Amino acid sequence: MKFVINRDVFSDAVSFAVKLLPQRPTMPILSGVRIEATPDGVVFSSFDFESSARTSVQADVGAEGVVLVSGKMMSDIAAKLPQREVRVEDDGTKVSIRCGNANFSLAKMPLEEYPTVPTVEGRTGVVEGKAFAEAIGQVAIAASREDVTPVITGVQLEASDTTLTLIATDRYRVSVRSVQWDAGEHTDAVTSLVPARTLMEVGRTFGGSERIEITMSEAGERQQIAFSTADRTVTSLLIKGNYPPVRRLFPESSEHHAVVNTAELVDATRRVQLVLDAEAAIRYTFSEGQAQLEAIGSEQAQASEIIDAVLEGDDIVLSIKPQLLIDGIQATHSEFVRVSFTHSENTNKPGPMLIRGQTSRDDAEATDFKYLLQPNLLLR
Amino acid sequence: MDVGTAWDDGGVSKQDGSNRLVSGPEVDDTTATILHVDLDAFFASASLLARPELLGRPVVIGHDSSRSVVTAATYEARKYGVHSAMPMARALRLCPNAIILDPDFALYSRLSQQVMGILDETSPEVERLGIDEAFVGIAGLRRLAGGANRIGPTLRARIHAETGLVASIGAAGTKYVAKLASSRAKPDGMLVVPNERVVDFLHPQPVSALWGVGPAQQERLARYGLHTIADVAHTSPERLSSWFGEATGRHLADLAWGRDPRAITEREQDKSFGHNHTFFRDVTDRAEQQGEILRLATGVGRRLRDAGVQARTVTLTVRFHDFRTITRSRTLPEATDVTRVIVETAWSLLEQLGELPPVRLLGVRASSVQAAADHGLLWDDTETWGSAERAMDAVHDRFGAATVVPASMLRRERKREDTGPSGGD
Repeated sequence: MKFVINRDVFSDAVSFAVKLLPQRPTMPILSGVRIEATPDGVVFSSFDFESSARTSVQADVGAEGVVLVSGKMMSDIAAKLPQREVRVEDDGTKVSIRCGNANFSLAKMPLEEYPTVPTVEGRTGVVEGKAFAEAIGQVAIAASREDVTPVITGVQLEASDTTLTLIATDRYRVSVRSVQWDAGEHTDAVTSLVPARTLMEVGRTFGGSERIEITMSEAGERQQIAFSTADRTVTSLLIKGNYPPVRRLFPESSEHHAVVNTAELVDATRRVQLVLDAEAAIRYTFSEGQAQLEAIGSEQAQASEIIDAVLEGDDIVLSIKPQLLIDGIQATHSEFVRVSFTHSENTNKPGPMLIRGQTSRDDAEATDFKYLLQPNLLLR
Repeated sequence: MDVGTAWDDGGVSKQDGSNRLVSGPEVDDTTATILHVDLDAFFASASLLARPELLGRPVVIGHDSSRSVVTAATYEARKYGVHSAMPMARALRLCPNAIILDPDFALYSRLSQQVMGILDETSPEVERLGIDEAFVGIAGLRRLAGGANRIGPTLRARIHAETGLVASIGAAGTKYVAKLASSRAKPDGMLVVPNERVVDFLHPQPVSALWGVGPAQQERLARYGLHTIADVAHTSPERLSSWFGEATGRHLADLAWGRDPRAITEREQDKSFGHNHTFFRDVTDRAEQQGEILRLATGVGRRLRDAGVQARTVTLTVRFHDFRTITRSRTLPEATDVTRVIVETAWSLLEQLGELPPVRLLGVRASSVQAAADHGLLWDDTETWGSAERAMDAVHDRFGAATVVPASMLRRERKREDTGPSGGD
């Protein structure tokens, strides 16, 4: 195996291929990056049985062949190479990387023990890269990080004929966003539960692409999903289990709401939060023309702030964990947010609040993003 | 021993037991809320468990080599003047008949864990001082388990029954006096020092009995004519401070009058609620193990709810027939007081262990305890269980524990003794 490749192309390809590799792989061999030189170019790939990444790039291939080397080492080297052509060659027992006056020689890992990188077949649809990446950013923040509850560590993708909906929850909040979905001829509904971590990586690396092809495997032994652009593919095993029917939690409608400026609410929340212990809640009082924030810390520290708000309906007091609110209002990506209040059947428990974006103080807007948040019990 | 006369004894506490001081059940134990539990000649006694034919003989633990030092010695050997850290050669000159046994630190560590486990089951306030001693706070147990006069003998009996070791116990209102009392109670004794007897107890003792006074400090005190604790007590704190420095002077004056404000060091996050059960015979049947876990977790959940707290970590302890012990824990997404969650977590921890050798003991513990709080969840899968359990708690309170139990517990007919502090169900 022997090829000459542009320095930036090389470092982008290696870093993409190894990004999804786990920090501590279960088997050492899975920490490798597979490099295959073909007449059409060079393919960099990695696979840890959960997820895989694969990219195909242009290079001047002198001799075809395949090697497996340490992914971490290779990406560290690739990132630091000088701006010169890179020559990669299989020397028999080692792989040499030459760039300008820099020379590296890496041990080859045993290819015969390396698993075959999967290909995913099944139902395919297409989304626009920028919208999909934005949706992932808005939704994946709400996914649980607790491995004890594996189902909700994923983002649920629900495809219908023209929309793809992303849903995530950690039981404190639910975040939902829909994007346009071109399902081609297959228009019946299909769902996939994708690990949030993998999906966030997809959002980061595929955001600049015009179109992303998504392939969801049909029901079978190994449930997988693949995200592909012209030269890159990420696959992931799906999370097993039934996703909780969280869309039911959203209220049909609520006239009782307040509209506030997003940046003002975020900034005020961050300031008032300063006196609070982690996990403690801020008390929000919405009344005619304003919202008042109040916090009492453990060291008798106090903070309060008043911001403008347009309230529709009765005054209301809610106790909310600041970070959960900030996540939701920032994810609206709108200048204003509309916070709708609901009432629960249980009189002791406040109803969840619904957050949506709005372009101005007065104009309601049909956005495709919504965020449902459960306030805490009021203690005072 | 008649306590009244015992106090007049003014001699030096020698660890050979010749100057032993113990109290009986008639001593007022209301102020003695701290126990100091100390295993007698721990290494030597532990080594003798496997060599009962050597009981009553002078035994020295260490390596049989002239360059070695004594690790521990039985009371019989101590009578010849042998003590730990003494060169082996000298020990053998003092006591030529001594039998030398190699130390077995794995055994010591295992026995120590067992004894500490018994203490943990007795009180939530346990401060370990080393491999063979610990403070146990019992102030909060008076209504449940009685005072030092009841808890002390029970502990000593349990330690002896379950490990074969002998523990001596000192009980007092302060850590310092409790520790001194246990050393006077040795071997195989218990001494309760009520607050009003502290000064009588302390003053005749040599200054070396003061906490923190080693040989060097003892020599400095002697230069000022201070030989007994009474000598120190009757020197003004100002004078002590001018001789030995501000901090040391105040420390000496306080200890000489039995003042020791140190509480049992037991951090908030260490608080936990646990129950253990030792089977009458080793159990291999998974269903029986699960049944026992259900029973233990039911007790733990009830105690959490009664205390108005929730725990975030569930730990399963499994001890095998050969005393090998493993623990596995899991941290939950939210703190809970729901028995069902504790049961299912402990079951799943058991499941993850796979095939097991015969099981001698099972334990379920809930830790990372915090005040019960609203977690602000949109939905809670455990809510139904939680309210059913609260209803069950209320029935138990009115009609007794046997009225409503999980169906799978009905089959368990044997009357059992639990090893948790709050006893049975």
